[in-house]
Amino acid sequence: MSVMRALGLRLHNQFQQVLPQRGAVMAMMRRGTHHDGTRLMSGDREVVGYGVNGNPIYIDCVEFPFPAIRYREVTPELCAVREKELGDWKALSIQDKKLLYRHSFCQTYAEFQHFTPDWKLVIGVGFWSAAIGLLISLSYYFKLYDPVPETYAEDRRQAQLRRIIQLQMNPITGLSSKWCYHTNKWK
Amino acid sequence: MLRITAGKLGSAIRGTIGVTSSRVAAVRALHGSEESAEDFDKRYEKYFSREGIDGWEIRKGMNDLLGMDLVPSPKVIEAGLRGARRVNDIALAIRWLEGCKDKCGDQKATLYPYLLEKITPTLKELGIPTIEELGYDKPELALKSVYDL
Repeated sequence: MSVMRALGLRLHNQFQQVLPQRGAVMAMMRRGTHHDGTRLMSGDREVVGYGVNGNPIYIDCVEFPFPAIRYREVTPELCAVREKELGDWKALSIQDKKLLYRHSFCQTYAEFQHFTPDWKLVIGVGFWSAAIGLLISLSYYFKLYDPVPETYAEDRRQAQLRRIIQLQMNPITGLSSKWCYHTNKWK
Repeated sequence: MLRITAGKLGSAIRGTIGVTSSRVAAVRALHGSEESAEDFDKRYEKYFSREGIDGWEIRKGMNDLLGMDLVPSPKVIEAGLRGARRVNDIALAIRWLEGCKDKCGDQKATLYPYLLEKITPTLKELGIPTIEELGYDKPELALKSVYDL
């Protein structure tokens, strides 16, 4: 019993030594994050709002245009531009303004609302599936199935139809109801 | 809800050139009591103009406004821009403008020039570029698909 515990403890310690990063990450995940790890994935990007559901997640969508975190992490070049941003915005160049926008956001409205080429893949896969299915059915018909029984010959089917009419099968709404018994013809 | 669509249909038929702000922002009904368009605008202007407002609350207000079935009126847009100026965040201001432009929906051709005309003095004063000046009305960068990373 104690041997098992000692073994377990040794393994745990080895795990912590060999993968200290992993161990630390897992310890952090257990502490007060409800085991979801989104705060770790967002790294040290600045949390600026509530976003979609309160988690520090970045997403570009029309329904929630202002995500919870900025898109990029802070770098020294950015700090210089942000100092300029504290002053008059007319002093910022267009390049600076674009840099600041791309720091906070991944895609512009025009970019994430643009159509994608996904439809080509969908149409292509659809047509290919239909073609392959058709080929398989045809090969089954010509190669796999036994020939059709003799009772399917045309004269034999005519005889069967004559028998149905003579027995008056389905005389009210079915096949015999369409036959006029006085003139021996179809109605 | 029907009133909002009826209002939008009415203004579309009448033409939105020279439309007043009371038609651009729809009438809101809160818990049974009607709020006029002017009161709604004033409420949000007050919200964005609050002294000491921070980025979190501005984003909440903007997210809420862009989730409602209306186009924010020029006064509210200006209040939002000034709020962004107070928290020193030009990216927020540009995104707010993009959002308001997108809310014009299929009537962008008539509503957006009207909105721009009304807020251009504020844009010039604060030094915020329009979306066209930045070149963001067309896609600029491509994003690699997550399946290709």
